Amino acid sequence: MPEFHAVVTVILKPEILDPAGEAVKGVLQHMEFPIGDIRIGRHIQLTVDAPDAGEAARLVQRMADEVLANPVMELARVRVRVEQ
Amino acid sequence: MSVRIGVVTFPGSNCDHDTLWALDELGAETAPIWYRTEDLDHWDGVVLPGGFSYGDYLRSGALAAKAPVLGALRAAVQTRSLPVLGICNGFQILTEAGLLPGALRPNRHGQFRCEWDTVRVVEQSPWFPGLTVGMRLRLPIAHAEGSYYVPSGQLGALFQSGEAWLQYVDDAGRLSPSINPNGSIANLAGVQRGSVAALMPHPERAMASYLGSDDGRRLLGAWVKGVSQEAIHAR
Amino acid sequence: MHAEDVGLTTAEYDRIVKLMGREPNDVELGLFGALWSEHCSYKNSKGLLKRLPNRGPHVVQGPGANAGVVALDDQYELAFKVESHNHPSYVEPVQGAATGVGGILRDIIAMGARPMAVADMLRFGRDGHSVKLLEGVVSGVGQYGNAIGIPTVTGDVAFADGYAKNPLVNVLALGIRRREHAIGAASARPGQLLVLLGQRTGRDGIHGASLLASRDFEAGSEDLRPTVQVGDPFLGKLLMEVTLAAVHGGLLGALQDLGAAGLTSAVAELCYSSEVGAELELDRVPLREPGLSSYDIMLSETQERMLLAVEESRLSDLTQLADQHELLCSVIGRVVPGSELTIRHHAEVVAHLDAQWLVGEAPQRPVDDALWMSFGAPVQEPEVPAAAPKLSVALLLKVLGNSDVRDRKPIYRQYDSMIQTNTVRGPEGETAVLRVRGSRAGIALAVSGPARWAAVDAYAGGQGAVLAALTRLAAVGAEPLGMTDGINAGNPDKADSYGAMAALIRGIADAAEAAQVPVTGGNVSLHNETDGRAIWPTVMIGAVGRLVNPEHPLAETWTQSGQHLYLINPSPLDWGGSAAQIMQDGEPGAMLRPDLAGAVRAMTAVAHWARQDQAMALRAVAAGGLGATLVRMMASGNPAVGADIRLGETRPEEKTLRLFNESPVQWVAVVEPHHREALESHFGERGVPVLPLGTVTDEALLQIDERYRWARIDLLQAWRHPYEEEPS
Repeated sequence: MPEFHAVVTVILKPEILDPAGEAVKGVLQHMEFPIGDIRIGRHIQLTVDAPDAGEAARLVQRMADEVLANPVMELARVRVRVEQ
Repeated sequence: MSVRIGVVTFPGSNCDHDTLWALDELGAETAPIWYRTEDLDHWDGVVLPGGFSYGDYLRSGALAAKAPVLGALRAAVQTRSLPVLGICNGFQILTEAGLLPGALRPNRHGQFRCEWDTVRVVEQSPWFPGLTVGMRLRLPIAHAEGSYYVPSGQLGALFQSGEAWLQYVDDAGRLSPSINPNGSIANLAGVQRGSVAALMPHPERAMASYLGSDDGRRLLGAWVKGVSQEAIHAR
Repeated sequence: MHAEDVGLTTAEYDRIVKLMGREPNDVELGLFGALWSEHCSYKNSKGLLKRLPNRGPHVVQGPGANAGVVALDDQYELAFKVESHNHPSYVEPVQGAATGVGGILRDIIAMGARPMAVADMLRFGRDGHSVKLLEGVVSGVGQYGNAIGIPTVTGDVAFADGYAKNPLVNVLALGIRRREHAIGAASARPGQLLVLLGQRTGRDGIHGASLLASRDFEAGSEDLRPTVQVGDPFLGKLLMEVTLAAVHGGLLGALQDLGAAGLTSAVAELCYSSEVGAELELDRVPLREPGLSSYDIMLSETQERMLLAVEESRLSDLTQLADQHELLCSVIGRVVPGSELTIRHHAEVVAHLDAQWLVGEAPQRPVDDALWMSFGAPVQEPEVPAAAPKLSVALLLKVLGNSDVRDRKPIYRQYDSMIQTNTVRGPEGETAVLRVRGSRAGIALAVSGPARWAAVDAYAGGQGAVLAALTRLAAVGAEPLGMTDGINAGNPDKADSYGAMAALIRGIADAAEAAQVPVTGGNVSLHNETDGRAIWPTVMIGAVGRLVNPEHPLAETWTQSGQHLYLINPSPLDWGGSAAQIMQDGEPGAMLRPDLAGAVRAMTAVAHWARQDQAMALRAVAAGGLGATLVRMMASGNPAVGADIRLGETRPEEKTLRLFNESPVQWVAVVEPHHREALESHFGERGVPVLPLGTVTDEALLQIDERYRWARIDLLQAWRHPYEEEPS
């Protein structure tokens, strides 16, 4: 079965407080960077064995929904590289 | 003459008062230093205490390393060899600021760990008179990011240059990988460079046998003595 | 908007209309919905809780405030309380637990006290998902407590299938204040400004109180789950420092934290306890995102906020303090005479009502005296105790690996238990002991809540929880000052669940009364019920005591061979409700009703003995009974020694009952051989039975009646089992 490379980006939903982002923003402001908004999330790279890219995306989406992100407070974006 | 030691309070520092208490017990003249201070001329020695500066957000110590006091600290270390001691988060801040080599990564097991460990003195330091090579100290750790790391190839230099300072060992003083509490390279618990030294364990919590051990009193006591000797010399 | 949208009944709505003399608008209805919810009003439990003894010579503040307060000495006072965060921890375990810790810490801070200890009391199911919940909850408790810098010094964990979808996360916090720094919500005066300190308000957990915590979970109830709250211990730390500095600087008139139901609850509580009214300008509340409605602002449960009442002349000092810590500090209104609450937003009055109605007029379920009295009736004790298997080497190992019995270290080593450098004895012991810098008195803190005892007989279980906590205080010779109770039960609208809660509370009341230890505050979490299945009625008791010479508390184990062991106050041979009995039978049996008079006699005698020089060590018999207690003593003592135990019982089944019954109010005492007589006469004179158990030997073995032997290493291996798996 072919192996696909995938990237999952997990980020807090817009309405959820991001304490880490706020703290980093404060420091960047003190350093006089022209910082606007900041949100801190997680970047997850993985490989998955699947018959085709569509199935790979479905599998990774399930991983995202069930494990990698908590759908109560986080959004997960899944990208699967088409070339194997 | 009493030695003047300041303890920096960053937003989120939480061992600052414990450390001030411990240094007071040892007879030092102490006061907190606010993290926005840019003048450290008054101080014979400075401690960066443990805690969660800026909530440990991003990376432990990364945000505090950009605080104004760090600039002053760097200058004082360079111009007058100001003695600096980093404890736990203080160690993380000093590596992030480039005042000490290496980095502190999340514990290998991924969890915060609070427990008693034994460390062994690897290298004699003029800033710690009386702490001789091979001496063992029982001290508590409490951290989530204490896995000391230097890129491969730099470890040998760390030992050769005398910068490797403290190592986790078992009760018999052996360097066993199984007692390494966080996955630190070469079981390193503390490093030093010039007048700057830092360790992950908390000596300020080991000031009396009823608190579990008084070995922290020995370590901090040695440092206060070292700072004091230097201060007499300098004045 | 309708009554049911905010969780109110039609009858409650009618009452609101009658009080107001008109129909409430949506904002007003939301305020009532929040404050008349089970979570905020305690409508089903308040009547029962009033029957708990709450007075005593050391009580400074009884129930009704943010936390109870007792006097430690003539300088210092201790504020402490337990609080639950059960439902949120099921939805999002890390943040649910973290915000639970943050919430109870703010309750302590709101009394002007600096938090100095946390204890976690956790209940989980036994399925795979529960292991994940456990990991998340422990991580959340640690994340907040470790970062804000309060040591977690003791705790308790237990498992049963009924908690699988209703895990319990109860957290106790204890803080200390100087007498002159006493403050609370009751001292606001007209003319003072209302100041909101801390986090910007966002759409966090709106309706957490009225809907999430006041209804059962059902299949498909996901829609009810509001936005979860995220804890920020970093901001919490800044908030704590600014608030306490403001208290110490005498800047504040009154202080109230924002918890469940956010600003609504904080303002209403402040007005109610201070007997004042308030005017609020919602346009002045700092927001995290634009477009929050009046309703959202009033009901948001954004964490890390405090409401302060401040004299105008003190405002600049306060602002300066907040600025130094880069914390937002905004005047959002003013305290006014009377009791009316007026809320303005976008130049309009969006709510206008009497604050007294929100708190004082909240509905309350009356207590049925006949029901209350029915619980005390003696039960016919079975003449033949529950059948037990014969003692075997394998049986002890099996009990040691039970999830309620095994070493809790995999949990507590994730918590900082030493920060603040006051922890003389931490979570490795049965009783936490803290020194207090600047005082000769120290603090003993013990928790207990074995719900398996309450599964069949909630009345007995309520008594047992109180006695077990006080038993631990006695073991270090501490004088009990007060207790806090965290009550967790099912849906109060169901007769069974309500009855179980009432019986539990009656049990707590009777035991507290007998021991003359007041309950100074606590928490009730109801609706711990999913798909019609309720948890066992569960109370988490936290007991706080004073001890002299805290630097050197009595040891919990032996040191060398030749020392003698005694079982103090041995229980009758009945193991109903014990961990071992449940393992054997698959379901809990009834716990033997404690003998309250005998229990109080024994606790008094033990506390007295613990302060004598002849006492070498004392350890409360805890989960897993005498057998597990001996192993804990072995684990924490000199690794080169063991114990040779001689049980009086001859039949192997009786030996099992002796070793594994969990009856509270039993201790293992250690004495030097030449002090045996002193021990026997001390307890003999006080009418407390003791059983000689044997001696400490110079072999690393546990031996019972010569027939049963275990190497120390095998016992420790069985006991130190990780939580991931049940040993087979």
